[in-house]
Parts: sequence; C-alpha cells; structure tokens
Amino acid sequence: MDTSVFRLDGVTKRYGDLVALDNATLEAGANEYISFLGPSGSGKTTLLRVIAGFEAPESGRVYFNGKDITNLPAHERGIGFVFQNFALFPHLTVIQNVGFGLTHGKSGLSAAEIERRSLEMIELVGLSGMEGRGVDQISGGQRQRVALARTLTMHPKVVLLDEPLGALDANLRSRMRNELRAIRERLGVTFVHVTGSETEALAMGDRIVVLDRGRIIQVGTPDEVYGAPASPEVAHFLNRFNLFDGTLSGGTFNGVFGAVPSPQAIPSDRSVYAVRYDRMQVLPVSAKVSGPSFRARFVASEYLGSSMMNFFEAEDGHVIEMEHHLSLGAAQEFEPRQDYLLTWNPDQAIVFGREASR
Amino acid sequence: MESRILKPTLAIYVALFILFLYGPFVVLTIISFQQGPEGGPQFPIIEWSTYWYRHIFGLTPPSRIAPLPFGEALLRSLVLALMTMVVSTVLGVMSAQAFRRKFKGSGVVFYLIVLGMMVPGVLTGLGTSLLANNVIGIERHWYTTAFATHVAYTFPFAFLVMLAILNRFDASVEEAAWSLGVDPWTTFRKVTFPLIFPGVLSAMLFAFTLSLDEFPRTLFASGRDQTLPLAIYGTFSVEIHPNIFAFGVLTTLFSFALLSVYGILMAMSVRRAKKMAMQEDIA
Amino acid sequence: MTSQTTIQKRQATTTRWLLLPGIIWMSLFLVVPILMIVYVSFWTQTTFNISPDPTLASWKQFFSSDTYTGSLWTTIRIWLIVLACTFIVGYPTALFVGLFVKSQTLSTVLLVICVIPFWTSFLIRVLAWRPMLGKEGAINIVLMKLGIIQQPIEVLLFTELSVIIGMTQIYCVFMVGPIAFMLSRIDRNIIEAARDLGAGFGRIFWKIIFPLSLPGVVVGAIFVSVMVLGEFATSGALSGRKVNLLGNIIVTQVGSLKWAMASVVGVILTVVMGIVIAGFLRIVDLKREL
Repeated sequence: MDTSVFRLDGVTKRYGDLVALDNATLEAGANEYISFLGPSGSGKTTLLRVIAGFEAPESGRVYFNGKDITNLPAHERGIGFVFQNFALFPHLTVIQNVGFGLTHGKSGLSAAEIERRSLEMIELVGLSGMEGRGVDQISGGQRQRVALARTLTMHPKVVLLDEPLGALDANLRSRMRNELRAIRERLGVTFVHVTGSETEALAMGDRIVVLDRGRIIQVGTPDEVYGAPASPEVAHFLNRFNLFDGTLSGGTFNGVFGAVPSPQAIPSDRSVYAVRYDRMQVLPVSAKVSGPSFRARFVASEYLGSSMMNFFEAEDGHVIEMEHHLSLGAAQEFEPRQDYLLTWNPDQAIVFGREASR
Repeated sequence: MESRILKPTLAIYVALFILFLYGPFVVLTIISFQQGPEGGPQFPIIEWSTYWYRHIFGLTPPSRIAPLPFGEALLRSLVLALMTMVVSTVLGVMSAQAFRRKFKGSGVVFYLIVLGMMVPGVLTGLGTSLLANNVIGIERHWYTTAFATHVAYTFPFAFLVMLAILNRFDASVEEAAWSLGVDPWTTFRKVTFPLIFPGVLSAMLFAFTLSLDEFPRTLFASGRDQTLPLAIYGTFSVEIHPNIFAFGVLTTLFSFALLSVYGILMAMSVRRAKKMAMQEDIA
Repeated sequence: MTSQTTIQKRQATTTRWLLLPGIIWMSLFLVVPILMIVYVSFWTQTTFNISPDPTLASWKQFFSSDTYTGSLWTTIRIWLIVLACTFIVGYPTALFVGLFVKSQTLSTVLLVICVIPFWTSFLIRVLAWRPMLGKEGAINIVLMKLGIIQQPIEVLLFTELSVIIGMTQIYCVFMVGPIAFMLSRIDRNIIEAARDLGAGFGRIFWKIIFPLSLPGVVVGAIFVSVMVLGEFATSGALSGRKVNLLGNIIVTQVGSLKWAMASVVGVILTVVMGIVIAGFLRIVDLKREL
C-alpha cells in the first residue's frame, strides 16, 4: 500500500539538448510542506509543471494517491497550482475567480452551494467584502490570496506553488509566508513550494528538496540540510556557508588557513571546506589560536534584525561572512580596514572531498 | 542639428503626401454635387446641387439616366461579407490556436495559409471558375464559388491577426483553469476566448471589409448575380455619371460613422476602467 | 515507451483537427485552382469550348503574338515603375511617421489618416482619378489658374502615366506601413550615439537607418508587387484600354470564353509572381525578422 500522496519515479525531461530534469525520484507524504530549492535553470519549475501535468516527461512515472497519472491530462489530476504571476482570470470578479473550478468543472454543485463555498474560502484567506471586485482592482497581496483561494476551493490533496511570493514586496512576503503555513496547517493539504530563496525554503518547508541542473541533489528537513549539506553546491545555495577551495589528502584539508585534520569528509568531486557564517570567530591579529585561522580585513557590517552580518575580505579577495546572533549577546565592534584573525572550531566545519569517496 | 531643417521639410512632405492620398476623394466629393441630370462627371461645376444624392434614392423625376442598380448588389455583398467574416474568423482562430504548439510541417502549413493573401485575385478567381465550370460542372454563384474564394483570401488575414494576439497571450491562465479541473474545451470558451475577443473582433473587421470590397475574385467566380463591386465595375464600361461619386461619398460616410461609433465605445470603456481603478486607489 | 507520450499524442491530435478545416479549404479553393490553371493551359481550345486533349497550341499562340508578349513586358514595366514610385513617395512619409514623430499619438493619427481612404470602395477610388486627371480635370484647372501652363496637359488621362499615378496613390500606403513599423523599432540610442560620434545625418541614414528599415521595405515591396502584378481594374479604368496588363488579357480572354489562353496567361503571371516573391525573400529572411 502506497502511503505517499505523490511519488516521482525517474522523471526525465529534455528541451532539445538541454536536460531540464534528470532522473528525478521523490516521494511526498500527506500533510507536508515541501520546498523545492535551486537556482534558476535547476529544473525546479519544470518538475512542478510535470507534477501538475502541464508538461509530459520523456521517461519516468508520476504517481498520485498510488495511481499512475503520468498520462492523465492536467484537468483530471486534481492537483492545485498557484502561479508566480497568480494567473487570475482578468475578466472575472474575485468570487467568480474563486468559484471558477466548481462552476465550470465536474463538481455538479448548485449555484447557491458554489457561492456558499466560494464565500467561505474568501473569508478563510481574509478577503471578505472584496468578492465583487474585479481582479485588477485589488492589490498584489490580495491577488495572491485570490489565487490561493481559487485553488483551495477545489479541495486538492496537493497544492503546487511556483515562487508564489516572488511577485510581492519584502514586507508582504514575510506576512504571506506565515499565512501560507497557517492556511496549510488548517486544511491539512500537502504544499509543494518552489523557491529560489534559501531563507524561504529553510523557514517554510517541513522538507527541503535541493535541485541543481535538473537533478535532485539533497532531500531532508531544514535542520538536516542546513546541518549537513550533501554537496558543496547545496552549501552554496543555502547561502549560509563560507566555502574555501583546497586539497584533501591523507585525512587533512589544506587551504588558505593551513592544514586541518579532516577525517570525516563527505564524498564530492570538488574539495571544499565549509564553515557556517555563525560558526566563525573573530579575534585580534595578535591572538594565539591552535586551530585553523587566517587574516582578513573588516569591510562592513549589516544589521539583520535578529543578527548582525560582518563582512571580511581575505588577502586573495575572497569575501568572508560572519553572522552573530544577537540572542547570544551584544555584537562585537570592528574597526573598518583593520585586519583581524578569523578562526573556528574545526569540529563544526564540513569538509567535502574526493579522497573520502574511496 | 540637421533635423532642424530635415524635420520641417519632411513634415511639409507628409502634408503633400496626405493631399495626394485625399486629392481624388476631395474632387470626387465636389463633383458629386454637380448639377443634374445634364451635368457630367467633370469640371466645371455647372451649379451646386444634391441632385445625384436624391437620384440614388430614386427621389428625382425619371430621366434618361437609370438609377444605380445597387440595391440588391449591396444586400448580396453584405450577406457575402458576413458569411466570409464568420467562416474566416473561425478558421483563423482554429489555425492560430493550433500554431501555439510546435508541430512538424508548421512551415508548410503557414505558407499554405499565407499564400491566400499572396496569390493575385485574378488567378484564384480564374482557377476556381475553371474548376467549377470544367471539372465539377456546377454553376458559379456569389454564395458558393465566390464565397469559397473570399474565405481563401480573408482567412490568412484573420489567421495572422489571431497569431499575433495569441503570441502575446499568457498561457498560464489556461493552465490555471486546467488545474482547477476544467477541461480544455470549457477553458477555451470561458477563459481564452473572452480574453482574445478584442483580437477576434479585429480579425472579423478585417475579413468583413476585405470581402465587402473584393473584386477580382468575385468577377470570375460569382456567376450571374452581381455583388456591389461588380455592379460598380459594370458602370465603368457604360457612361459614368456623378451618381456613382455620390454613392462613393455616402458609403465612405457610412463606414466612417460605424468606425467612429466603434472608436467612441472603445474610448468610453477604457475611460470607465481607468475611473474605476482610480476610485479604488482613493478608497 | 509509446504509452509515455500519450499526452503529447493527444495534443498532436488536437492540433491536427484544428488545422484540418483550414488546410482543406486552402487546398481545395487555392492550390487546386492554381494547379487547374496550369492543367487547362494545355487543353485544346475550340471556338466556344475547351476539351482536355493536351496541346501546346495556346502556349505557341501566346509567344508568337506581339499583343500577348507585349502585355508581359508592359506588366513588368508598370510593376517596376509603380514599385519605384511607391517606394520614393512612401519612404519619406514612413521616415517621418516612424522615426521623426516622437509622440505615439501623432504617429498613430498619421497612420490612421493613411488608412482612412481604404474605406472607400477600391473601384470608386480608381474612378475618382478621372475628374482629377482629365483634360478639364482638377490638376489642369489648378495649374492653369496658377499660370504654370497655358494649354491643358492631355497626357494625364488615358495613358500609361495615369495608370502609374493611380496605382501609386492606391498602393503607396502598403509601402508606408511596414517601413514605418520597422523604423519605429529602431533604438533611438543608436542614432544618438552615432550623432555623438560626429556622424552626419546622411551617414547615419545610410549606415544605420536604411539597413534597419530594409525588412519593412521588402514586406512593402511584396505587398505592392503582389497587388500590381495582378491588377487589371486600374489599367482598365484609367488607360482607356491602351495599357494591357496580363490581368487585362485574362479578363478579356475569359470574356470571350478562351479559357485555355486565359490559363496560359495565368501560368505566366504565376511564374512571374513566384520569381518576384522568391527574389524579395532572398534579400531578407522574413521568418527571422518577424
């Protein structure tokens, strides 16, 4: 018995010579919030469109509720989709948009029942009183809610969201982030959320699926992915790690900071040494340290609300970021254009390298 | 620097160009007010009068000049243009819709359709009448053979208009409808069609006006009963009187009136939309 | 493997059904008729009828008659002259509308002004040139009033000149439209940059503006060529039967039921047309420009 809501099995999709999806395999459970994270061109939107049935894969199967839906057209799948540009029906009012699927699909409901359900959903997304308006007479955030309500009236088991917050301004984005989570939890629907923003993925997903060049390169909870990125690429997308190139040999990583014993390297083609921003320590140049360290010049700092970001420039021009969580105490003050010694606890670093693959 | 001389020169040139375009029509209008029934279609104007306008509507005492035989011809032309408009637009929308997806042989099909506006009317007309006369052996009529050539002529225009419209069409609203469980055909009726309707209107306008004024194809393919352009052509060989000019002025005014109404309606709906948007902003 | 492309197959079927009516219509009422012309040109002509016995008689007759071959050269001559005239008359207008007018509204208004005459019947527009060009026509009256001429110019009407004037006026708008469209797409910054580098208008025009407008010129030329080559009404109405184009020959031949000869002329017209259009498409790759 298949307990997953949907399952992808070796899905591959090409556009000419370009491989958009390369053997993607994934399983999603009921009542889950999944984020697809990846840079543009990583295939995350294509994957979403394959699940929705807008694109047909060259090979591989898509299962939904244990049924093979690979050959089912989009309108027979019962999977919701929220577009980045919302794709509201511009010639219809808010309530007509929300009731569209019930009215013109196979619901068989009476007009009165459709109206009742539409109004209920409009209330749920907080748009009561706006049902009679045209969709060009409401704001961006309100359009986003209409798009969501329109999908949710159909009671889909899975809602696919393609960068749903991309078109909103920063303020609205953080508010909608919370609301999306709240609405999902209330309805017990599985959300699959495509995003290019690591912050969004880490904050919203119960699970994160990281994609790169058409391949799924890591699947895990935010903590798992954050704590143990599977490859240098993942560490790079997360935008939370200082990455150093170097060489790995005999259990030791050689980088600008000297040689560090690294017995537990993660198999990878590239040798990369990764240290989380918030694991960096800054000391005066004169300080004595036993672990890895190197000199870097302080450039600037930026206040991010709950933390302080400090930027340093190493001698080779590499920019190093250091994050200080303000919950741990007041931030250190640094002198601009002064050299400091950067160091960290080697146990907290993550090492990728070819050697360990043997 | 040069444009300080160049631009005014060009502006004057364009004024002359417009004069060149409109000159014949101005002269035509003047002559349509020639005195009748003796006054001919030339200068000088013997006396200003509306005789020839009244002549068209049969409001003048009978004279040696017969009224223009345009009544039935006009009716036929209008019916033919309506038929052509409907069929061309339907074909145009269907083909343009098909062209949204890549398919093998799309180049050949594209040129097959566009050929219809490239091939001179004499050739289509001649070929169709040959086909009807000598192969199938049917009589030619304005509502059969001529209708077929009219559609073959106006369908490419409708197709190109719809292609341009659908090229700019954002397909995500259709996908949104599908994802709401609405089948493609209903989606087309309830989403796509209402959104491309302005384009459909211009395709219809194109097909209608082209068909209404179509002459070479009709000349060969229409058989005994004349359409309006054929009736006008018929007056060529006989003596020309100012009544034909008066008729030209009237038809032009009529199409102007229709067009102005269309323009005003469009402007009004745009303004209303703007006003509503503004009220929302204030509220 | 095959079952995996079911969705694509279904879409391909939809595409086929959407295209089928159009393809059938165009094949039956456009391609077959043209093939029919080619076929009938080899039929045997009797006094009032034709029979499908193959013969080259009509072809021989065409090439041995000065009237017929002459009409071919007249058609080509008139086409070239009208093409040149529409280009010369239309280009400056297009330049002004497409490049020099900065306000979008004004350029739209100018284009609409150019299109308005099309709401008068084509044949009446042709006919309107008669009182314009005649011996006692408007042009002669104006010129004599101005004292520029003493005697009315008689060559204005019922000559080749009147046909050329009439066709130029009727068709020049088809030249203006496409050229103005291409010109309006030129990035003004390029021109500004060239001016900053000290290039005069002449240089800018020949090095930048004209080459960029060339696709518009070709599209306009195709429009004008297609219409002029197939013309017979303007030449019939304004030349007093002195100018016989291929189209006029077809009309008279059909009028006297000489279907085979009409077909021969039709085939020749088709060939000329094909060569002309293919030639223009060689200059500019339209598919890439659109």
